[in-house]
Amino acid sequence: MSAPAPTAAPPPATRRVSRALLATRMPSAATAALLVVAVTASALMQHNFFTPYGLTSNFATILPVATIAVAQTIVVLAGGIDLSIGTIVTLSSVVAVQLMDGDPGRVPLALAAGLATGAACGLLNGLVVAVLRLQPIVATFASSYVFGGLALLVLPTPGGTVPAEITGGYRQVIALLLPVPAVLLLVLWLAWRLLRAHRIGQYLYAVGGNAGASYASAVPVARVRVFSYTAGGTVAALAGIALLANSGSGDPFIGNELTLGSIAALVIGGTRLSGGAGGAGGAILGAIVLTLIQNLVFFAGVPTNARELVNGAIIIVAIALAGLLTARGGTSDGGRGRS
Amino acid sequence: MPTPYLQMTGVRKRYGGVTALAGADFAAEAGTVHAVLGPNGSGKSTLLKVLTGVVEPDAGEVRLEGRPLRPRGPRDTLEAGISAVYQELSLVEDFTVVDNLVLGVEPRRWGLRDRAQARRIALPWLERFADAFGGRVPADERVLGLDPGERQVVEICKALVRDPRVLVLDEATASLRRRQVEVLFDVVEELREAGVLVLFITHRLAEIRAVCDRATIMRGGTDVTTVTVGELPEQELVELMVGEMAAVGAAPSTAREQVRLEVRDLSGPRVREASFQVRAGEIVGVGGLQGQGQGSLLATLFGAERRHSGTVLVDGREVRPRSPKQAVRSGLAYVPGNRGTQGLALGRPILENMALPSLARRALLGVGLSRRREVEAARSAAGRMATKYGSLDDPVATLSGGNQQKVVVGKWFATEPRVVLMDDPAKGIDVRAKAELFGVVRDLAASGVAVLVSSSDDRELVEVCDRVLVMFEGRVVDDVHGERLTEETLVAAAMRVTGTEVGS
Ligand SMILES: Nc1ncnc2c1ncn2[C@@H]1O[C@H](COP(=O)(O)OP(=O)(O)OP(=O)(O)O)[C@@H](O)[C@H]1O
Ligand SMILES: [Mg+2]
Repeated sequence: MSAPAPTAAPPPATRRVSRALLATRMPSAATAALLVVAVTASALMQHNFFTPYGLTSNFATILPVATIAVAQTIVVLAGGIDLSIGTIVTLSSVVAVQLMDGDPGRVPLALAAGLATGAACGLLNGLVVAVLRLQPIVATFASSYVFGGLALLVLPTPGGTVPAEITGGYRQVIALLLPVPAVLLLVLWLAWRLLRAHRIGQYLYAVGGNAGASYASAVPVARVRVFSYTAGGTVAALAGIALLANSGSGDPFIGNELTLGSIAALVIGGTRLSGGAGGAGGAILGAIVLTLIQNLVFFAGVPTNARELVNGAIIIVAIALAGLLTARGGTSDGGRGRS
Repeated sequence: MPTPYLQMTGVRKRYGGVTALAGADFAAEAGTVHAVLGPNGSGKSTLLKVLTGVVEPDAGEVRLEGRPLRPRGPRDTLEAGISAVYQELSLVEDFTVVDNLVLGVEPRRWGLRDRAQARRIALPWLERFADAFGGRVPADERVLGLDPGERQVVEICKALVRDPRVLVLDEATASLRRRQVEVLFDVVEELREAGVLVLFITHRLAEIRAVCDRATIMRGGTDVTTVTVGELPEQELVELMVGEMAAVGAAPSTAREQVRLEVRDLSGPRVREASFQVRAGEIVGVGGLQGQGQGSLLATLFGAERRHSGTVLVDGREVRPRSPKQAVRSGLAYVPGNRGTQGLALGRPILENMALPSLARRALLGVGLSRRREVEAARSAAGRMATKYGSLDDPVATLSGGNQQKVVVGKWFATEPRVVLMDDPAKGIDVRAKAELFGVVRDLAASGVAVLVSSSDDRELVEVCDRVLVMFEGRVVDDVHGERLTEETLVAAAMRVTGTEVGS
């Protein structure tokens, strides 16, 4: 019989503040406002923003970020966090690129192997967290070195080719104004809605919202936790494949620095970092906002290697903003199951 | 003798140095309502959690219908037909009421959740208890916004939705007022007729006598005896529950002339134009039907809920607290109705919880925070109400429900308040501790403090208060005092305004 993780090991008093911050959420109105501002600013700065070319290239960069944000959201909703998610993206993408090796005929096998890799990484994280009861932050921080190291063994230096069919198809535009990456984004969201309509989707929220109550209500808490990491890993693998399609070749560091961005995107999108409230729809919007802001910063002449700095700053600002807005509006906006 | 329907033998459970169960035996028959009684911390909740599979016993056996039950968790016992209302409420606050009711047993259609069906099985129960929600059926409201009494009703419906063969009610009535208790008892009668075994934990004598057939008395982690309720005079039942006890007579009022708390036209989220006064040394009750804004009135006075309009004077000086800190500084103390989320920092040590509200005061006086003083203060506060704990450094969450409540109440005594606001303070504490608690409240009043106390138990109000304000839909509609202050008038006053017939 496995009781839910006890609330033992009380945190030091200084961590109470950070606890409170983790419990805050960005209200939907704030997410929407940020989206409007980001889109307007982008349209003003990039004169070709609303052309098929502009939309395609923007969505081509948005899709991987949004996908990894959705992956992280699934984990965070259930009360966990996955700091290895960027390296899962990397590992699955290098496995896939090594296997396809420019040959269109081997693409199905390569994709399957990439997804299986992501799922296996997630499963490992999930078992360590749910069964061995390690702190998610510590466990996934450690596993990020394992996955990152494996990626370097599979593909020591940038290389490998993605068949032109894939890179070409990725940048196609359907019906004049609908880029393929945008369609894929829609498919991702629909898949999320499907999960949400299933019991297991509901259990993610239940476990993240109150694990003890869920356990007493006969929700299989440990299994839900394992599922959340496994599903997160699988979706992260999809992000790796989107990155391959976008760049055309493999890179053993391709996703590593996306972890921070995934967290920033979900916070902007209104998911509560302590779990139980939010959703993938918000994370997708958050990823759009985040990517557009990063583009704007790039257009403003800030070098790309300041990206981490920008991500970090955005997370801090977003959490502070969410905290402020939550405090003002009372807790009542707290957790409408936005998705 | 045939084997009993439910039989538990030699159940033991230790938590570190604390023995929760020391070889308890228990047996009960289908189609009966069986009470489990005993003082706070005697192991009642733990025993029933062993039955529902939430707690794994160190030793002992559970048999249902003669077959051993070895659950690996609540999922297995749910399958065996056992469902429970736990003392520490187990709802997901972000979920709607319906989602909570079907959590873990969601009906499915084509592999997906069938929400229409979920509503179909949930609504009848909610409608039956609609009175508890002030007549509405809050199916799609989130639990976050419900008050403790309403949450408790949701918990009850949640257990009923599972269609149990064994129903465990662990102080399920602690936050409920008379009318809702009656509705629940109707349901319990029906279940008994249908052959369901109902296990019922309560500290309220009247309820034991009203529905229970048999009663098992626990003390110190073992069962002392099992009796047939109808055959036992009330006094003996009390003695069995908590040992011998001096009868508490009505104490003379200590109210003085001076008005300590004056409230004019106070309005808040669930309070409408409330006006009244409380004099120094006076104990004023707040009663009425379930969920008429009693809790909100106290919370609004303390500044825990937002005040829309109105004036509050303490000793003639206007106070308008925006935070608990300001409220404490203006001489208010507040025992919230929801100990889990408002009253306690559950993961923190008992000592720290005891010290929290009075910290500022003592630090301000320049008394260094010596640990010895803290410990002494906490010990005496805990001792006053016989709080049972292992060590002051244990997290509050490890205490039994009643003992947690004693910490919630006890921690305020050290703040030297002028006005004390208490929202159902005696909820879940045993008969003896309740007498001690109200003894302390009387001492406070005698020293000139004005006390405003809401209670879900009319009997408590009559015994303790000088005067009772009756609330209806957020308004103070009656002021019952003197000769009129009896349980019967309180019930009548609570309902007269609704136009429905006056119940007994
Ligand atoms: N998780 C836990 N960790 C440590 N001690 C515990 C835990 N749960 C219960 N105890 C201890 O076991 C004893 C019995 O607790 P239990 O909750 O069964 O009492 P109870 O009879 O239900 O009391 P009450 O009337 O106050 O609800 C108490 O002394 C309590 O402190
Ligand atoms: Mg108990």
